[in-house]
Amino acid sequence: MRIGVFVCQCGTNIAATVSTERVASAAMALRDVVHAESIQYTCSDPGQRTVIAAAHKYALDRVVIAACSPRMHETTFQRTMAQAGINPFMMEMVNIREHCSWIHSDMEVATEKAIDLVSMGVAKVRGQTPLFSSHVPVVSEVLIIGGGVAGIQAALDIADAGMPVTLVERGPTIGGNMARLDKTFPTLDCSSCILTPRMVEVKHHENIRLMVNSEVEQVRGYIGNFEVDIRKKATCVDEEKCTGCQICEQKCPSEAPDEFNAGVGETKAISIAFPQAVPLVASLRKEYCRLYIKGKCGICKKVCPADAVDYEQEDELHTEKFGAIVVATGYELFDWRQAYPHYGGGLYPDVITSIQYERMLSASGPTGGHIQRPSDGAEPKEIVFLSCVGSRDESIGRPLCCKVGCMYIAKQAILTREHIPDSRTYVFYMDVRAGGKGYDEFYRRAQKEAGAVYLRGRVGKIYPRGGKLVVMGADTLVGENVEVEADLVVLATGIDAAAGAGSLAQRLNIPYDQYGFLSESHPKLRPVETTTGGIFLAGACQGPKDIPETVAQASAAAAKVIVLLSHDELETSPMIAEVNHMRCIGCFKCREVCPYHAIEEQGLRDGRRVAVVIESLCQGCGLCTVACPPSVISLRGYTDNQLIEEVTAVLR
Amino acid sequence: MSGGDIKLVGFLCNWCSYAGADMAGTSRMAQPAEMRIVRLPCTGRVNPLLVLKAFQEGADGVLVSGCHPGDCHYNEGNYYAHRRLELLSRMMAVYGIEPERFRYTWISASEGARWAETVTGFTETIRPLGRLNLAGGGARDDDHHQGPAAGSASPAEKR
Amino acid sequence: MNGIVDTIKNVLKETDLVLGWTTDPVTGVATPARFHDEKEAEQAVFDSTCAHNLAVHLPRLKDSRVGIVAKGCDARSVIELIIEHEVQREQLAVIGVGCGSLLDVKKIWRRYGYGVAIKDRDDSLLIGGEQVNRDEFIQRKCHGCLEADPDIYDVIAGEVTGEIPTDTVRPHPLHDMFVSLTPAERRSFWREQFSRCIRCYACREVCPMCFCRDVCIMQTQIPRWAGGAVDAKQSEMIQLIRVNHLAGRCTGCGECERACPVGIPLMLLLDEQNHAIEEMFAYGAGASLKARPPLLVFDVNKDIWGKG
Ligand SMILES: Cc1cc2nc3c(=O)[nH]c(=O)nc-3n(C[C@H](O)[C@H](O)[C@H](O)COP(=O)(O)OP(=O)(O)OC[C@H]3O[C@@H](n4cnc5c(N)ncnc54)[C@H](O)[C@@H]3O)c2cc1C
Ligand code: SF4
Ligand code: SF4
Ligand code: SF4
Ligand code: SF4
Ligand code: SF4
Repeated sequence: MRIGVFVCQCGTNIAATVSTERVASAAMALRDVVHAESIQYTCSDPGQRTVIAAAHKYALDRVVIAACSPRMHETTFQRTMAQAGINPFMMEMVNIREHCSWIHSDMEVATEKAIDLVSMGVAKVRGQTPLFSSHVPVVSEVLIIGGGVAGIQAALDIADAGMPVTLVERGPTIGGNMARLDKTFPTLDCSSCILTPRMVEVKHHENIRLMVNSEVEQVRGYIGNFEVDIRKKATCVDEEKCTGCQICEQKCPSEAPDEFNAGVGETKAISIAFPQAVPLVASLRKEYCRLYIKGKCGICKKVCPADAVDYEQEDELHTEKFGAIVVATGYELFDWRQAYPHYGGGLYPDVITSIQYERMLSASGPTGGHIQRPSDGAEPKEIVFLSCVGSRDESIGRPLCCKVGCMYIAKQAILTREHIPDSRTYVFYMDVRAGGKGYDEFYRRAQKEAGAVYLRGRVGKIYPRGGKLVVMGADTLVGENVEVEADLVVLATGIDAAAGAGSLAQRLNIPYDQYGFLSESHPKLRPVETTTGGIFLAGACQGPKDIPETVAQASAAAAKVIVLLSHDELETSPMIAEVNHMRCIGCFKCREVCPYHAIEEQGLRDGRRVAVVIESLCQGCGLCTVACPPSVISLRGYTDNQLIEEVTAVLR
Repeated sequence: MSGGDIKLVGFLCNWCSYAGADMAGTSRMAQPAEMRIVRLPCTGRVNPLLVLKAFQEGADGVLVSGCHPGDCHYNEGNYYAHRRLELLSRMMAVYGIEPERFRYTWISASEGARWAETVTGFTETIRPLGRLNLAGGGARDDDHHQGPAAGSASPAEKR
Repeated sequence: MNGIVDTIKNVLKETDLVLGWTTDPVTGVATPARFHDEKEAEQAVFDSTCAHNLAVHLPRLKDSRVGIVAKGCDARSVIELIIEHEVQREQLAVIGVGCGSLLDVKKIWRRYGYGVAIKDRDDSLLIGGEQVNRDEFIQRKCHGCLEADPDIYDVIAGEVTGEIPTDTVRPHPLHDMFVSLTPAERRSFWREQFSRCIRCYACREVCPMCFCRDVCIMQTQIPRWAGGAVDAKQSEMIQLIRVNHLAGRCTGCGECERACPVGIPLMLLLDEQNHAIEEMFAYGAGASLKARPPLLVFDVNKDIWGKG
């Protein structure tokens, strides 16, 4: 072992309080140190050349540089080592500036401390072994789960960068919730006008493969090398043959609930969700089909001019490889009925949700863009909006904010005035949150131009009286109880992650919160990454979001994916955990604490089951090393022996 | 180590507290000189045995510091560390170590002043307690510092 | 003992062997035994000298279908081993026995002579024919008994106790003295205690939760947590290792202290730690099959001691 110690003066930054000469000569007395010198500016070009020359002259195999913080120059000196022909990890930095010369004034004291710190560094580097990065090959295909606006945006961005994308959507069409919206705040441009062209682009993009009616069943592997099982559910319609003529839908005798239209109106057992659906292909829902319930029908097959109906169709299971995964499974509305019995709990037909209202407003919706009371089809004149139904309500255990409610209420109030000029709208609100660009202006427009009356307070009760609904609330600003007689009540219900998001997260090995929203790796610095390398988040699946935010996040996730897959191989950090297989007892306590799921079980040829670290997943936190009773999993660069030596060196 | 002088060891995570200590240095915040800092990736890497080993080998106080809960670079590291370190601190007195000699704190990269105060306060707490001599009865395990003989340059070989 | 022999015979139909006790012909007290067939099982007993925690053998018998006779305290070890995936529940047949507290045979022998006749009846204890106060001779670990009847079993042999037979709060005999010591006095106390340790590792060998065996760092010096010397310092370190490794895993079965040939009061350390863990996490090792070892999980909302 031949160690060189270089003590930096940093001009006078260090030398003014620490006698670097004395530190260097004290270092010479340490075991295995064959050279020590003091250098004026070690990080400068001449300084680095001095180190390299000494490395050659004294045949150094390890180096200690006592200078500034390693957070400042560790990479600089690692490069110097490479130039000197020494493994970059055989260098240890000792911080005698920020942790010594700059905080002490007594030369004697500071010099003694610097000597201690150097002896710690020498003790640690003595236990160091050369480390090398590994390279793992990367599959260049990308999987996107969820075909809302987030999934669409990410798919197009990535596909435009030339990478093949598979977009998996569990419904019969892409578009997600945005496809159900009428116009969008704060500009009031029509949702389908901006979304539909993007949906069609997905359909025709040469790099995108679209799989609807499909779900991800299992995920194996790791960053760069995922293996995913996708189930494409049987829909009894051959996607290749169907022309989208909808004759089957017209002739089908079985009525079925209309999910796309959120229950406003009905559809058929075989149907196309909406006229702009992509792909424009019918699908059959067996649970509502007469043929499957009663065993007699078969009309759709008879009428289909393209011979696309196939009752024998079976689920297909595809297993594919991907380098990266973007999750964009979006949201759904909180089911308010259980939690709010005092709003009728779903019994009054004229208390509807915001998305139902959105479908009524839509010109292509089931009512043809006419606002109608579900109970009698009449045009309502007095319309009451309730914000925060299932949001910001501690009493039902839902403190989260839905983020879009305030704004779409303003939007719907404005649109209501456009549709029914002699209508009056009331809004019961908690606070109006209008933080985005142009948002506050938009909300004021609802008050000024659309004449919406804003009342601050939660509604206590809704009950029917003479064909109308009485909405009883408090105006907390005036301190009075208010009662409004309404024709229609629209609830801005809270937002939850899409059904099944939690179990999908479990299959993907990524964390999620109590509402099923998927967790980002770091709230500020890694907002689209997850704690599992190679899996990214886009859109409302991570938390409630409006469209601009959703799209921005989707493009950010796409950029991360493109960066990741722009290399054929991934270089992994060598400062990671490593299991001594011969000594591992297979208790897997390490696996339980690893935040990155970087430890898996492996069988040895002698039959023992032991832990192995997946190099491309380990982030080098060292949590596992403490959980391991016999200390057989160690963190390279910070092994137990190195730390024991480092600590005992100074306590001698 | 000279006679009655105390020695303190600090185990600091690289991302928050070590950076906080750097910041205290950059801001030239004067601190007592007894502290010796060991840099680790995460407080989750701090094996309670390492703390006890330090006491055995002659540390008179040990301070562990990392990111605030929720800010861990590895998300969960300091949550596990919190449990391990709290248990350790409750066991100190049982082992015969004054509980004040062991502390753990959360200090962020921007809390240079807080780091300087913490070191000062900690040092001032330990000084009156003096040396610990946890296992003074046992012989120093000196071959600790010898390391593997093979591959080492003997003093004669130096230069 | 009515039932134990027949129960073991029955269980042997589905297992390769049963861990239990038999009477040592020399001393007349119970000693652990392995029964492989009906004939061997004839020798099985269960009485108040069956102090050994047989769960210690389970991790070493992973490839067999094992039956085990378990008292309440032993069952906690079984549960903890299952939680830690060291033992497969399906591989195991637990024969539960109710325990009415155990005798400290060593103590009796020290007082009355090796091999003295012991007759433990329901209401009285006769030693060498002389009636004595039974309380004085019960096992240390039974003071503080948490469960006299096993929480996990497939069959019960004999009758369950239905209650905890001893004063559960009585602490270690040295507890009062120990807590009155200052930290500095405790340092000398432990130094004196550990200076007697001969590093036989009996404390580890009898512990059901110490299953690292050949790679145990008390012994290997890989990594160099403890040096190899037999002195107070290194013996202290090996106990620090053991205590730390048993955090949240020690069921308080007391075997380590019972096995120590030089009488080091090891349970002082483990009792204190178990108490701290109970306080911090409301957790007791081996109490429930559903529990998760407290140092392998965390709870953002509940872990709020001494933040900052
Ligand atoms: C009433 C209302 C009005 C709104 N108005 C506006 C507005 O005017 N302006 C605005 O900016 N925002 C508005 N929003 C918000 C807007 O709807 C969302 O920002 C946007 O839809 C989020 O897009 P997304 O792609 O993240 O999620 P989604 O649109 O929910 O898309 C998710 C997709 O993933 C699919 N999916 C779910 N789970 C799986 C799975 N396991 N496997 C495969 N696929 C899956 C779903 O079927 C869906 O197609 C409104 C919201 C509501 C409720
Ligand atoms: S060092 Fe951290 S990330 Fe790596 S295997 Fe261990 S616990 Fe997992
Ligand atoms: S904790 Fe240690 S012994 Fe147990 S499986 Fe992991 S590496 Fe092996
Ligand atoms: S440490 Fe002692 S008391 Fe605890 S489980 Fe092991 S043998 Fe039993
Ligand atoms: S003391 Fe620790 S390393 Fe040794 S056997 Fe017990 S748990 Fe394993
Ligand atoms: S049983 Fe007693 S003597 Fe043996 S190693 Fe353990 S503490 Fe030391």
